[in-house]
Amino acid sequence: MIEVKDMTLTYSSGKGVFNLDFSLDKGGVTGYLGPNGAGKTTTIRALLGFMKPDSGTCLVNGMDTYTHAPEIQVNLGYIPGETAFFSEMTGAQFLDFMMEMRRCKDRKRRDQLLEMFELDLVGRIRKFSKGMKQKLGIVTAFMHDPEVYILDEPTSGLDPLMQTRFIELVHQEKQRGKTILMSSHIFEEVEKTCDNVIIIKSGRIVNKSDVASIKSSQRKGFSLVVKQPEKASDLFASAGFEVKRKTGNNLEVFISGDEVDAFVKIAATLEIQNLDIITQTLEDIFMQYYREGDEAR
Amino acid sequence: MIWPLFKKTLRQNWKLWIIFAAVLTMYMSIMISMFDPESIDAMLSMLDMMPKDLMEAMGFTAEITSLASYLASWLYGLLMLAFPMVYIIILANRLIAKMVDDTSFAFLLSTPNSRIKIVLTQAVYGLTSILLLFVYVFLLGLIMSASLFPGELDVNGFFRINLITTLVNATVFMICFFFSVMFNESRQAVGLGSAIPIGGLLFNMMGNSSEDLEIIKRLSIYGYYDPVDIANGSQMIWLVIAYLLVASALFGLSLILFKSRRLPL
Repeated sequence: MIEVKDMTLTYSSGKGVFNLDFSLDKGGVTGYLGPNGAGKTTTIRALLGFMKPDSGTCLVNGMDTYTHAPEIQVNLGYIPGETAFFSEMTGAQFLDFMMEMRRCKDRKRRDQLLEMFELDLVGRIRKFSKGMKQKLGIVTAFMHDPEVYILDEPTSGLDPLMQTRFIELVHQEKQRGKTILMSSHIFEEVEKTCDNVIIIKSGRIVNKSDVASIKSSQRKGFSLVVKQPEKASDLFASAGFEVKRKTGNNLEVFISGDEVDAFVKIAATLEIQNLDIITQTLEDIFMQYYREGDEAR
Repeated sequence: MIWPLFKKTLRQNWKLWIIFAAVLTMYMSIMISMFDPESIDAMLSMLDMMPKDLMEAMGFTAEITSLASYLASWLYGLLMLAFPMVYIIILANRLIAKMVDDTSFAFLLSTPNSRIKIVLTQAVYGLTSILLLFVYVFLLGLIMSASLFPGELDVNGFFRINLITTLVNATVFMICFFFSVMFNESRQAVGLGSAIPIGGLLFNMMGNSSEDLEIIKRLSIYGYYDPVDIANGSQMIWLVIAYLLVASALFGLSLILFKSRRLPL
């Protein structure tokens, strides 16, 4: 549904994205992650046809995003990263206008979404809070029930309750077979919604994988308080685990997912006063990729 | 043409049109009511008492022998250029550059409408509003003249001066619109889009003020005709064609430029 083939788009500053190559099959949610300035918005500009790539192509539904932008838009929902609306309009006028521009007459979906996000359209958009504007952006992108979504930081400015509603909405759409590409900074959201992630760093893709395998490659950490810290640390180190000595009798041991058994067997030989699991979040893993990207350069 | 967009643009900009129509109504009323066919000679002699260069710079020149040439001189030499110019500068910025600058243009492009159609619609709005402004001014002039000085106005001459003024303002609009389409930032679009017509107006005034500086008028979009001569019936077909050509060329260039341009939305 979305294909990016060896796409390079650079600015006069020398920044940009370089030789991006990825594709999203029909159905499923892909997270597009990266630190600020990595090139997420630039990629989205190319995917929306706002800018022509220097080389390579972007296709949505098999059509070139630059030359066939209007045709693609029929079946595309887009939330811009910076949501600047036509501030002279009221919320209702804006949605009516966007429906007319889309030649879309069915208001059912729109009303459902307004109810779901508890959005009150009264008043000028100028006076809307950041969260209300973001909700308006979401309704605009979803109200014509498109096949493909490109969402640039869709939950920024939403309160936790509404973030949860949004995640529900994404789940619903996924179940209906929609294809979603979503850039995000919120790892929890990515963890809850995405099947796959693409990580971009300094304009280049540093990792493409599915969330499940990332999670299984997740290292496990244990914080132990033992009677004989020196002996314990030697035992764990000789088994090939990473050991960090903390103050007093406290140790931290890190193991990979398939080493739990070996760890427990060694631990059983020790006199343990306390044991805590250190949870490594997806965020830690992503941060690791961000840093690896640095080293690769 | 995209009608929903045209309606949106109208809803956003009709007040601006009303304001400028009101300003022009005021000047038109004042100028016509000040006209006195009995004492036109007296008025001319009063004009003579003013510094000649200054009066000519303001466009008050030549043979004012009728109501049409009087209006051509007093209104169409400066006021009917300067006020519409301000309207045009504000409007042209709003039509494209402002929306690209604040990125709200992304919402237009996220609908199934091509860039060409969007730009076309916005340009058509601008040109239509200028045309309507002068249709209004023309009819206002006719009605006011007919009620205050029945039979005095040379309708043909008055029409001619309105036609050429509409065309020159349409051309100025296309210049401003071209810059609105060209730049990512309002600041730049308004900067260049206003520098050219304001400079043109200044050059025209300088050119009018002295024979030696006459040549400088050629640098000005406004400097290719004398409104009083036009009202008095001088040949203007080539001028009409020239303005139409320049405006059409800028229209075409704006479409081509915007179609392929990078938009930082």
